[in-house]
Amino acid sequence: MSSDTKFHVHHDAPEVIGRRERLGVRLLIVADGSFVFGMIFTYFYLRNLNANNGWIPKGGHHFSAASGWMSIYPLLLAAIVFKIAQRNPKTVGNLTVISLLAYAYGFYYQIHQIANMPFIVKDTGAFEGSYASTWVLMAGANVFHYFLAAFIALGIVIRARRADVDPALEKWRMRTAASWFTWIAISGVSVALTTSFI
Amino acid sequence: MTTLDNRVSSRPIPNPSKSLITKLNAGTGLVVGIIFALGTYYLLNNNSSDDATVNFQHYNRTLLASMLMWSVGFLVGIGAFIGPWRWLIGKDLTAEEQLYLAGDGQGIKRYFKYCTDHKVVGIQYLVGVITMLAVGGTMAMMIRTNLAMPGGHFITASVYNSLVGLHGITMIIAMIIVATGPFGNFIMPIMIGAADMAFPRLNALSWWVLFTAIPVLCSAWFLGGIPTGWTAYAPLSIQAGPGMNAFLATIIIFAFSTAVAGANITATVVAMRAKGMSWNRVPIFVIGATISVALAVPAFPTFMLAMIQTALDRTFMTSFFDANFGGSGWLYAHLFWIMGHPEVYVILIPGVAILMEIVPVFVRKPLFSYTSAIVGFAGIAGLSVLVWAHHMYMSGWMPMLNGPFMVTTEMISIPTGLIFLVILGTLWNGKPWLKMPMLCVYAFLWNMLVGGITGLYLSDVPADNYLHGSMYVTAHFHYTLMGSALTGAVAGLVYWFPKMTGRMFNERSSYVAFWFIQLGFQVLYLGMFTAGAEGQPRRVVDYADTFHVSNMVSTIGAYGVGIGFIVLLWGVVHSWRHGIIAPMNPWGAKTLEWTVPYPVPLVNFDTPPVVTSDPYGYGKAVK
Repeated sequence: MSSDTKFHVHHDAPEVIGRRERLGVRLLIVADGSFVFGMIFTYFYLRNLNANNGWIPKGGHHFSAASGWMSIYPLLLAAIVFKIAQRNPKTVGNLTVISLLAYAYGFYYQIHQIANMPFIVKDTGAFEGSYASTWVLMAGANVFHYFLAAFIALGIVIRARRADVDPALEKWRMRTAASWFTWIAISGVSVALTTSFI
Repeated sequence: MTTLDNRVSSRPIPNPSKSLITKLNAGTGLVVGIIFALGTYYLLNNNSSDDATVNFQHYNRTLLASMLMWSVGFLVGIGAFIGPWRWLIGKDLTAEEQLYLAGDGQGIKRYFKYCTDHKVVGIQYLVGVITMLAVGGTMAMMIRTNLAMPGGHFITASVYNSLVGLHGITMIIAMIIVATGPFGNFIMPIMIGAADMAFPRLNALSWWVLFTAIPVLCSAWFLGGIPTGWTAYAPLSIQAGPGMNAFLATIIIFAFSTAVAGANITATVVAMRAKGMSWNRVPIFVIGATISVALAVPAFPTFMLAMIQTALDRTFMTSFFDANFGGSGWLYAHLFWIMGHPEVYVILIPGVAILMEIVPVFVRKPLFSYTSAIVGFAGIAGLSVLVWAHHMYMSGWMPMLNGPFMVTTEMISIPTGLIFLVILGTLWNGKPWLKMPMLCVYAFLWNMLVGGITGLYLSDVPADNYLHGSMYVTAHFHYTLMGSALTGAVAGLVYWFPKMTGRMFNERSSYVAFWFIQLGFQVLYLGMFTAGAEGQPRRVVDYADTFHVSNMVSTIGAYGVGIGFIVLLWGVVHSWRHGIIAPMNPWGAKTLEWTVPYPVPLVNFDTPPVVTSDPYGYGKAVK
């Protein structure tokens, strides 16, 4: 057990804190990457197995190959804009607003796509087949990514307008956030590419 | 971000005693969690369909959402989201608030708060693990009691089924955290000379998230239990009753906790080692724990994915695992075992690493071939992700791949052999100090030998054809997990007890517990091996008369183990309250945790340590 002794503040440099935080985020990206890989594995496994012709049953519906790409344009746009924003600390707040709006739009678009998916059996509410099942899971993962990214982008926008944050540490946190934004863009492209193989 | 981070807001410092942070604790977490759960339940529970299937789906959806919202609500109520919220609005926690979160000056109350001090989190994990082992162990005793005689009617068949599933998952969760939870949190940061974990708030989060899974898992008992065993194979789990929702919610919550804890521990070891602690000076327990959690980081999300897919099949009528609509039960087995087999080593490696930490101390010799130990751990971790399909030999999936998977599985005996050689090499020509932790090293060598050799038969396709699904399998994995990993954790408990509690572990109780547990263990599982080799299937409530003797022997052994653990538990409680006050370094060890006093200061070291030699510099062997 620890004692209730007086607190000693150690002075960790922003670089030290920043590198540590970036490493932690990268490890969480590994975990998330494993989840995304599992979804892609699921998609191709069930597609190739096509048990009882149930991948897309006869008369069943599916999205076009392009629809997966439609939902990830905001991810790519936001990640690119944020990369540019990082270069100039003075404009980071304003440019990140664009990223924030892109994430918010992507979140809305993905929810809208889920709400209007064509492959629900009207009488029972069941999904038509395993294509529909894998599609909705991937779309759900995109929603989660969009939500988290919007939260982070909102934080960056707000914090850029405050004068009492440590600029050196904030710079490192931008780089950490950029790791996440880049990863979810890669994840989005991987999922879109996967769903292109109907 | 960290407790030590003084680079925080420069705005006027509010009085922390008036802050919301000071008002929140496990009690408020409990209240908000229950409100969230009940609110979700009443909000969603409005289905009035005549269709039984639709009702079943809707009820499952409501229950599952309520369980997950309980977890979210508890975290809101205990203050887990204050940090992210304050970050979002640009008002970072002040140094005083961080100090308060670290539990400064709060005595025993900090154990019931969202405390970021790694030592508090370590004790929370220790108490949690002991509780889970006690509950899981009691279930095991009920199972063995029922199996003492053929036609045993101690418990009903459905209760027996539930017990087997609940015992399995409770023990698996407890064993995954048994070493990296208490010792990885309390001891490891001190061992590497760090002032705290890399992410103290994530550290607290990993514990409290796990804590919220415990009542969820317990609720399974009142919802009809888990009739599928801990593997929860689809499509059985799709058709199972409402208790299955508790299982799914538990695993989803637990996998999140494990990923967070794994990232935190790995980042701590990589980024926060003391000056001079190069990689070849890192204590072997730290190496083992890091490899274990680093393995867990990518492994557990696939487990979580399998549970989410099962939940979707149950609640939204998707068809991941229903072959009628394009799904596949094999898919579940893949996702489950891609995690499931590395998970065995996530459990095993830290337990073995504890024993490797102990051997040099009690033999007063350097660890023999430190590099081989690391190669051994890394080899086990690397191969563990290439063997999952040996659990599917008899499932009919790709028989042509049985051979390759047999080879990769049997190759794991090579790095495992290295671990053996390192321990034997360290023991060689030594004069061991036969304290209880050292006895555990010898017990491990025997148990792992039996567990390893019997595993070879199961990895062999023709032999597995006969042995799979039998009591033989149950005995084998208990030899590896309980006989090896748990033995390591118990040794670690006695070894680090003085540093964690300030008191020596009662020696007599440690010896009595050791002999009861280890002798009982041999009787219990050698009896079970016999039953399995004779053909008794596992997970059955009743058996033919021919298996009576071996089952009776097993049950007698189980009672020996039970008595041993009761004595051990008594030893923990008694020593914690009345034990002899421990000196700073009772074992004369050379690792950093023994250089700090008890109680360990909040930031561990008054001045950051500088490491100038390896941790096992005990000189040459005495001849």
